[in-house]
Amino acid sequence: MKKIKVSLEDITNEIQGFYDYKKWHFLTLNGLALEDNKLEVQWIFSKYEALDEIVIYYAEIEYKDIIASIVDIIPSAIISQRELVDMFGVQVEGSSKGLYLDEDSLQAPLSGCSI
Amino acid sequence: MSKKTINIPLGSQHISLLEPVRFKFECENEKIITVDSDVGFVHRGIERACTTKFKFDAIGYVVARVCGLCAITHSLSYTAAIEKLLGGEITAKSKYLRILLLELDRIHSHMLCLSHTCENAGFEAMFMRIMGDRELVMEIQELLTGNRIQFDYISIGGVNRDISSEISKKIIANLYEVKQRALGYMDEFTNNWSLSLKFKGIGALSLDDAYMLNAIGPLARASGLNIDVRNEIEYLPFDEVGFKMQTHRDGDINARNLVRLNEIINSIEMCNNILEGLPEGAIFTKLKGKPKGEAVIRFEAPRGELMYYVKGNGTAMLERVRIKTPTFSCIPAFSHIFVGENYADAPAILASFDPCLSCTAK
Repeated sequence: MKKIKVSLEDITNEIQGFYDYKKWHFLTLNGLALEDNKLEVQWIFSKYEALDEIVIYYAEIEYKDIIASIVDIIPSAIISQRELVDMFGVQVEGSSKGLYLDEDSLQAPLSGCSI
Repeated sequence: MSKKTINIPLGSQHISLLEPVRFKFECENEKIITVDSDVGFVHRGIERACTTKFKFDAIGYVVARVCGLCAITHSLSYTAAIEKLLGGEITAKSKYLRILLLELDRIHSHMLCLSHTCENAGFEAMFMRIMGDRELVMEIQELLTGNRIQFDYISIGGVNRDISSEISKKIIANLYEVKQRALGYMDEFTNNWSLSLKFKGIGALSLDDAYMLNAIGPLARASGLNIDVRNEIEYLPFDEVGFKMQTHRDGDINARNLVRLNEIINSIEMCNNILEGLPEGAIFTKLKGKPKGEAVIRFEAPRGELMYYVKGNGTAMLERVRIKTPTFSCIPAFSHIFVGENYADAPAILASFDPCLSCTAK
C-alpha cells in the first residue's frame, strides 16, 4: 500500500495525472477524523490484475474547507463524494447532502468535531 | 414540439426487490431518459458503532451483521485486516476452510439472484426449482458453521469449527447434486426463450462504460472487464484451488446470468479441490497484541469487491473502520444502464444487478 500526500489545491491535478481508467480502479473516498478538528481525506485506487497494488492519495483538511470534486475525471466518484458529505459534514464541490442520511437523522456521525 | 415526460418511481418498496432502494425514472413514453437513486432508507451506523461501542476483537461478529447473505465476506475482510495489523500468520488449513465458506456463500447467493431473475421473467416454476435446490447449499453451511446464513465462522487467527470427514462427504455429495442441477440451469438459461432471447440486448453495459464507471463483480465481468479480487490478492491461495475468472462480452442481463452460472460451477470445483487436498493441522492460531497502523483489505463478495479500511492505534478501540460495499460502488453503473431502456424492463434489469441494500446501508 502506497500513500501519497497531496494538498487540497493539487488533488484534481494529481489524480488527473495519475489516473488511467483502464489501468486503475477507483475504490472509494475515505475520511479519517484527526485531532484538532482536522480530517484526512483519502482517494483509494487499486491496479487492475495486479497483486495487492493499492495507492492512496490523501490530504489533511479542516472541516470548513471545500473539497474539489474528481467527478470530471472519475464519474462514479460522485457516490463516494456524497457519502463523505453525509458522514463527515464536509463540503465537496457538486455533491449534495441526503444520500444516506435524512434531515431528521443524526448528522455527520463520523465527524471528529461538533458541527 | 417538446415531448412530455413523466416521473415513475421504482421502490422504495417494489415487488421485484424486497429491499429499500428507490430509483426515480423520468420517462418519455415508455423510455427511461434520466435516473435518480436513493439508497439511504435504513442506514444503521455500523461504521460508527465499530469505533465507539465495540473492542476490536468483537467487531468481526458485528460486521457479519452488515449483511445476512455475505456475512462471511464481511467478517473475513475485517479479520484479515486485523491479522495484517497484528502481523500474525494463520494456518494453511484455516485458509482453505475460509475459501470453502466464501465459495459456498457465492454459490447460494448466485442461486438466489438467478431465481429472482426467473421470477421477474414470470417463470415461477424455475424460481421455485432454484430456490429448492439452493437448500442443498444451505444445509451444508448449517452443518459446517451451525447457521444457514449469518454464520460466525471466522475469528481473528483462524476459523471457529473444524470439519469432520462425515461433513466433508456430505458437502461433496450435495455439491455433486448442485452441479448437475446448475448444468441443467445452463440449458434453460441458454435455450429457454423467457430466460435467454428475452434478455439478450436488455440492460447492457459496454466494456468501456464498465471501466469508466468502475463497475465490479459479475456486472463488470459480464461486460468483459477482467476484475475479480480473487485474482488480485495473495492473502488466500485461490490460485491453488482452481479459481478461473468467468467473463462474457455482451454485458446484458443474459450475460450476467451466464457469468453467475459459470461462477457457480467454478466455485463447486474449487470446493471439491479444497476438500480433496485439505491440509492437516490446527484451525486457529492465537494472535497477540493490539492493532496499530492502517490496512486496506479486499475480497470478492458474491456481488463484487468488498473493501475494508481499518486503522488502529495500539488500543482495544479502533480509530476507523471503513466498509466499501459492492452494490454501493455499482450504483453509478446501475443508473447508467437504465437510461434508454423501457420502463417495463426495469424490474428485470434491477434483479440482474443482484443489489444488496443491507450491505449498502451499513
